[in-house]
Amino acid sequence: MDSPILLLLALLIALIQCFPDDYHSHNSTRHHDYCVLGAGPAGLQMGHFLSKSQRDYIILERNSGPGSFFNIYPRHRKLISINKIYTGRRNREFNLRHDWNSLLSDRPDLLLQRVSRELYPDADSFPRYLSMYVKELGLKVQYGVDIGKIRASESESPRGRGYILTDQRGLDYTCRVLLVSTGLWDPQKVQFEGSDLVEGYESIPVDPEEYKDQAVLILGKGNSAFETAQSILGRASRIHLYSPSPVRLAWQTHYVGDLRAVNNELLDTYQLKSLDGLVEGGLEDIAIVRNGEDEKKRSGRKKKCRSSGKEKRGKLFLTLSELLDSSDGRNSSKVTATNLPVYHNDNFSLRQPYDRVIRCLGFRFNFSIFDGSARPPSSEGARGRLPGVTAWYEGRGTPDLFVLGTAAHSRDYRSSAGGFIHGFRYTVRAVHRVLELRYHSNSWPAIKLSISQLQSWLLRRVNEASGPYQMFGVLGDIILLRGSHCEYLEEFPLQALPQFSSLSGHQLSKHGLLVLVLQYGLNRTDSLGPGRAESEWTRAWRSNFLHPVLYYYDKLPTERDMRHRPVGWPLPRPKAVHHMIEDFLTEWDGPISHSQPLRRFLEHCLHTDLRAFYAESCFRFSLTNQKPPLFCRQGYLRKHGVVRNSQLWQHAHDAGLMPGGQDSASPDTDPSFPDYLTRAGTSVSSAINLDF
Amino acid sequence: MYFIYFGKQVNPTIGLFIEQLEKSADALEDYGISVAMVNCTNEHIEKYCTGEKLMKKVYLFRGGNVLKSFDTDTVFDVNAIVSHVLFTVLFDEVRYVHTIAELQSVERAAKGKADIVLGHVQVLGLPEHRALMETAFVYGVKYQFVLTTGGPVLTNMGVEDISSLTAGLWFLHCKGASQSQHSDPCPHTALRRALTTLHIYTFLQLMEAPLVVRSQSEASVEPSEVNMVHSHLQVPLLFLFSQPHTVALDRVTAQTLAWRLRGQVGLVLIHRESPDVKIPLEYNAAYRLPGEGSEVKYLILNNLEEVIDLFRDESTPEEEEDDDNWATLDVLDDEVAESVYRDRGQSLDMDAVTELTADIFHSAVAESDYTVVLFYVKWDAVSMAFMQSYIEVSESLEDADVSDVELAVLDCGEWTDVCSAQKISFFPTVRLYRPQEPSQPYQGMLGTESLNRFIMLSRLVSPVLLSSPDEVTSFLKGDLYQRHAAIAPVTVLGLFSSTADAGVSVFKEAAKALRGETMVGLFADRQAEIWAVEYSVTLPAILVSRGPTGQTEAHSLNLSMPDQLVTHIQRALLDTFPELTVENLPLYLELKKQLLVLFVGEEERGRKENRVLEDMRSLLNTGLINPYLPCWIHLGRTPAGKAVLEAYLGFLPLLPALVVSQLATGGEVFHYPTGRPLMVQPILQWLQRVEDGEEPPTGVIVDEKWMPSMPFYDFLSVMDQEVPGYASQRSAKTKTSRIERAEGEKSSSGERQARAGAHNPQGSPTTKPPQTPHHHSEL
Repeated sequence: MDSPILLLLALLIALIQCFPDDYHSHNSTRHHDYCVLGAGPAGLQMGHFLSKSQRDYIILERNSGPGSFFNIYPRHRKLISINKIYTGRRNREFNLRHDWNSLLSDRPDLLLQRVSRELYPDADSFPRYLSMYVKELGLKVQYGVDIGKIRASESESPRGRGYILTDQRGLDYTCRVLLVSTGLWDPQKVQFEGSDLVEGYESIPVDPEEYKDQAVLILGKGNSAFETAQSILGRASRIHLYSPSPVRLAWQTHYVGDLRAVNNELLDTYQLKSLDGLVEGGLEDIAIVRNGEDEKKRSGRKKKCRSSGKEKRGKLFLTLSELLDSSDGRNSSKVTATNLPVYHNDNFSLRQPYDRVIRCLGFRFNFSIFDGSARPPSSEGARGRLPGVTAWYEGRGTPDLFVLGTAAHSRDYRSSAGGFIHGFRYTVRAVHRVLELRYHSNSWPAIKLSISQLQSWLLRRVNEASGPYQMFGVLGDIILLRGSHCEYLEEFPLQALPQFSSLSGHQLSKHGLLVLVLQYGLNRTDSLGPGRAESEWTRAWRSNFLHPVLYYYDKLPTERDMRHRPVGWPLPRPKAVHHMIEDFLTEWDGPISHSQPLRRFLEHCLHTDLRAFYAESCFRFSLTNQKPPLFCRQGYLRKHGVVRNSQLWQHAHDAGLMPGGQDSASPDTDPSFPDYLTRAGTSVSSAINLDF
Repeated sequence: MYFIYFGKQVNPTIGLFIEQLEKSADALEDYGISVAMVNCTNEHIEKYCTGEKLMKKVYLFRGGNVLKSFDTDTVFDVNAIVSHVLFTVLFDEVRYVHTIAELQSVERAAKGKADIVLGHVQVLGLPEHRALMETAFVYGVKYQFVLTTGGPVLTNMGVEDISSLTAGLWFLHCKGASQSQHSDPCPHTALRRALTTLHIYTFLQLMEAPLVVRSQSEASVEPSEVNMVHSHLQVPLLFLFSQPHTVALDRVTAQTLAWRLRGQVGLVLIHRESPDVKIPLEYNAAYRLPGEGSEVKYLILNNLEEVIDLFRDESTPEEEEDDDNWATLDVLDDEVAESVYRDRGQSLDMDAVTELTADIFHSAVAESDYTVVLFYVKWDAVSMAFMQSYIEVSESLEDADVSDVELAVLDCGEWTDVCSAQKISFFPTVRLYRPQEPSQPYQGMLGTESLNRFIMLSRLVSPVLLSSPDEVTSFLKGDLYQRHAAIAPVTVLGLFSSTADAGVSVFKEAAKALRGETMVGLFADRQAEIWAVEYSVTLPAILVSRGPTGQTEAHSLNLSMPDQLVTHIQRALLDTFPELTVENLPLYLELKKQLLVLFVGEEERGRKENRVLEDMRSLLNTGLINPYLPCWIHLGRTPAGKAVLEAYLGFLPLLPALVVSQLATGGEVFHYPTGRPLMVQPILQWLQRVEDGEEPPTGVIVDEKWMPSMPFYDFLSVMDQEVPGYASQRSAKTKTSRIERAEGEKSSSGERQARAGAHNPQGSPTTKPPQTPHHHSEL
C-alpha cells in the first residue's frame, strides 16, 4: 500500500492546504465565523467552547503569548484569587467552587494547581497555565496581531453584518461574529491640577527599598492601592490612602472586587495608630503641588524626588484647586502658604507633605479601537469604564458583537463575580450556548428528568454546581415543567429570562418554570456579629449567607416585570418562592431542614403529592385509586418499586405512616377484631346534637 | 360504677367501638369507673345478652342498677365515652339552663356563696364536652357548674355570632357579689382560648388569683423579681408604678384595667417610694411576657386602651398555633424518607460492597465477569433505602459462593463526572457491566429478591443454545439449570426448524434483551418439529414452561423486530390466573383489564385453598370471562391486600371473597355475595348481572388527584407580613425614586461606618468661606 504515488498525493494535499494561508496573507484578508479578540482567560475560554463545537474561529492576540496582562499585573506579583487544592472532596464540579483561576475544560487535570500549589499563586504561573491550556486543547491563537481598528461591514451579506478588523500591518480580518475579550488595559485617570505629578500603579517601582522613609499618598482604596501599600509598609514612613468612598471589605460585601483581606494589613496599622491612614474625599477638586520648585525644575524632575533631608523643598502637597491662586495664572503659580489647607485649618489631616503620590484607580475598557459603527456604548454603571451590554453580553447596538470577560462586568458590577475568572468562565459558556442556537440552531443543552427525580437533581445541583455558586444572582438553572417530566437547563443568564425562548430554543409549557438561583441575603451589615446566621428553615428567607432560592413562575416574566422587580432581587416577584436555609458547610442534604421543605414547595408548584412510597403502599394505591401517586406511577408501575427491607419497614410502621400503623398498639391477632379500625373510624364519627 | 358492653358478633362499626372502649378504660378509671366487656357467646347473661346478633347498647351500672344505657353510635370514641359517662354521673350536680331567667335564678342562689362556671358546647361527645365534664368532676364542689344550650343565654354573655361558637366557658364572679342587689347579674369573665382541660384549669387558677396585687408588703420590689401564680401559668404580667400622691387614683386605674384584662394578664401595682425599687422615672408601666428569663419592658402609657391593645398584640395565641403548625411540618411524612431517617443511627456495612471512585471505575468494571453498580446520591431516601437491600444481596451472594459477580456502589454526589459520563439521570440506577459488552440496566423491583434473581439469571448466556431433544426436555423441566429454575421457574424456549431461519437472529437479539429477566433457550433444528406437532403450532414458535408442575404453552412467532418480540415474550410469560403480589401487580395492570379478584384468607391453606382456586380455574376454562383478568390475592403472603379489600367494601368480609374491580373502566367495585357458592354457574350469572348493571356496586375506586399532603411554607406571604414592600414589584412611578432612596441609604450608612474613623479633609476649607460647595461624585 505504501506506494510513492500515495506519498506524492499526500504531499500535494498538504501543499494545497498551505495555499489558502498564503493566498489570504497576500490578499490581506482572512475570514472566520468567529473572531475572538484577545488571548486572555476569557478569550481562551471561548476558544475552548468554539473548538469543542468545531467552529471556524481564530483568537487574535497582539502579544507573543496568552494572558499578557498577567505578565505585568498585579505589579507585586501575587494573585489574590483562591487556588484551593485541598477541599476534602473529589467532586470536580464542587472543587471548582474553590478554584478561582482555572478555566473550564473536559480535562480533569487542566487546572492551575498543576502550575502552582500556592493558595495565592505567583502571577507568573497564570500565563504559564494559559500556555498549557492553549497547547493541550490545541486552540487556534494567532499571536502578534495587534488590531487597531474595528468596523462593521457595510454590505448586508445574507449571513448577517459581520465585522472587519484591521491589524498593525493593515491586514483585514473579516468575521461574522466578533467576541471581544480584550480585558481592561487603560489605567483609569482623573484630571486635576498637578495630576502630572502623580505616578501610576502601572509604572511605579516595585522594590520596597525605593520607598525607604518616604511619605506616600495613594489615590484609591481598592485592591491595587492596598497591594501597593502592603508591599511598602515596611519601608515607607507614612502611607495615606485617599479616595471618595470608604473602604468596602470583600468579606462584608461578598463582592470579590472589594478589598480582600489578603492585602489589608494597612487597616491594622491605621486602626492601631501606626502612622498610616485612610481618608475620604473627592478627586476632581484636589490639586497636587510641589513646594519650592520653579518651573524649570518641575519639568526636569517630574517624578523622582530623592531629597534625603527633612526639608520640605521639592515635596508634594495635597491641596484643593480652589485654594490655588487662579489670578496668578495656572502654570506660573508658585506655592505660597495660603495655597495650602493647613494655613486655613491647622489640623487638616493631610497637611504633611509627601514624597510620592501614586494613582491606583483601576482600569477602563479601550473604546478607541472601535469605529463608530462597531462601538458599544459606555455602561451606565461602573463610571462608564465598561462597554454596555445586553443580558446575554451582546454589545448594545452592535449585533453579533459580544463582550466577554472582565470587560463584560457591567452586568453585575459590584454584585457578583462576572468580572473575574471564576465568574466569567461560566458567562462565556452561557454566551457560547446563545451562539450555538443563534448561528447553528443547537438549542441550549437540557436534561429530561422524571418529575419524581427533580428533587434529587435540584439537591445535586445545589450541593455541587459551581456556576450558580460563583455567579450567584446572575446565572441560574431553569427547570421547564412539563407535567410528568421536566427539562433541566443549566446556568442561564437570569436577566435574559424574558428572552428565554429565543435565546435557548426551548418553549415553555402551561406548567410554568422554576428558576434555581444561589444568592446572598440582604442583611449585609454585621458580617461577624451575633445573629448573622439563621438555622431555622422557616426563616430561610432571612439567610445572610449564600443559599439556594427557587422561584416559580407560571409564565415567563416580561421585560417590564424584570425592570420592576423588588429592590435587591435578581428576579421579579414569582408565584411562589422557596429559600433553602443557609448552611454552614454548604451541604444542603438534611431530610428535615432541606429536603422536606423543598419537596413541599415542589408539590405546591406541581399540584401533586411527591412523596416516595414503598412497593406495598404503591400496590395498595394502584388497586384502590384510578391514578396512584406520581412516585408509584413513575417507579412501581414501571416495575421499579421500592421493596421493603424488614428493618426500614418497621421504621415506617413505627412512624405511623403505614395503614393500620397509626396506633402504636400491637396489631390485633384475633381475626374477628381486625386492625383497620382507625381507618374505618374516620367515616363513622358522627355529630350528635345536644338534646336535653 | 361499671361501664359494660355485652357483645356477640363483630362488624367493623362494633369493632371500632370495642377498640375505643378499651382505650377509655384508663381515662374512666381516674373517675372510679371500671370498664368491662362481656362476650355473650361464652357467658350468657340474661337480659343483656338477648336480642339481636349485633349488640348496639352499652350500660352504665351503679351498684346493681343500670344508671343509663347508651347507643354505641352515641359513645363512638374515647371522648364521647368519657363525656357521656361523666355527664350521666354528674347529672344532679350540673345545672342546665335554657333561658336568661333560669340563669338568673342560679346566679341569685349562688351570690355570696360560690362562683359559677358556665359552659356551652354545641355538640356532645366532642373533646370540648369531655374537657368540660372532667373539670366539673374535679371542681364540682368548689364552683356551681352550669351548662347551656346556647341561644339567648349566650347573647347575654356577649357572644355576637351564636352559631359560630362551638364551645365556650365563662366564669361568673358571684361569690363576691352582694346578695342585696340580687337583680344584678354577677360580673363575668370569658375564657378566650380553646376548651381544653389545661386551658380551663389555668383559667380557673387565674380567677382565684387576686385581681390586683398591690401595697408595699406584696410588691415593693423590682418587676423582674415579682413572682406570682401568673408566672407559673404562663400568663403575662403588667406592672403599674404608683406615686405616693396618686396611690388612690392609681388603684382605681389598676382595678379597671385588671377587670378588662382578667384571665389574660396579671396586674401588679408597684409603689415607687419603696427604697428597693429602682425604676426609671420616665416610665409608668412595664410588662413581662411569660417564659424563663424573659425581660421586663418599660413603657409610658397614656390611656387604658393602649394597654389593652398592647396585650391584644402581645398575647399571641395565633403565632403560637402557627409555630405548632410548622413544628408538625418538621415531621417527615414520606414513609421512605422517614424510615431511612429513623435508621440514621445505624451505619451501613459498606464492607460488603465495593465503593467505586472515578479513578477505579473503568478498571473495576473491566476486571470482573459481572459487575453490578448501584449509582446513588446520599440525599435520596429511595437510594439509601435500597442500599440496605443491595448490601443484603451482596452478602447473600458471598454466602452462596458466587465469586464472579462484584457488587459495587458509586456515589454520584462525589463522582459526578462518572455519573454524567454514564448518563445517570435517575436515582437509584443499577447497571450490570460485563467486559467488552454494553452495560445493561436493571429494571426490576428495588428489592433483594428481584435483584438476586436478576444477577443469577444474568450469569446465564441468553439464549441457551440447546443441541438435542433430550436437552430440550431437560431445559423445559427445569433440570438443566436447577439452581436457576428454583428462583425463576418460568422458562421460554424458541423453536426453529433450522439455524438458517431469519427469525433466529431476531430471537437471539430479543433473548439478549431478556437476559436477567427470564431464562431463554433456543433450539434450532429439524427435530423441533416434534414439539410443534405436540403443541399443534407451526414453527417458528416459543414454548413457555411454568416449571415441573406447571403447564407448558405454545405460541407461534411471526414478528420481525426484536423489540416487538420482547414484548410478545413478556406477554406470553404472564399467567392466565395469577396470584397478584406486590412484585407482579404492575405486569398485570398493564393489561388494563377489569380484575376479577379472589381474596383468599391467610388461614386457608392446603386443600381448601386449592379447591377454591380449582373452581376458579374451571371458570377460566369456560372462556366466558375474557373481559376480566381473573386473579387472586393471598392475604397472608400479601398483607397489603387486606387494606385493598377493606377499601373496596368498607369492611372485611368472610373469606374467600370474590370481587370485580373495574380499575381501568368506570371505577366501580362489586362484591360477590357472601354465602353464595363459589361455583361456575352462579359466578357467571352474577357477572352477567354486573355487566347488565343490575348489581349495586359495593364501592368505588376513587379517582382523586394526589394533591400535596401538606401545605407549603409560603415565604412570600411571610415576607409580605414581616417586611411589607420587600417582596413587591416596584411600581412604574416610584421606580426611580425608590432606587435612589435605596442607594442613598446604602451610601449614607456606609459613611456612617466610615466616619467613626475617617478624617474628613473637607472640614478645613470651611473656615474660609468656600467659593463652591463640595459635592463628591462617587468614584
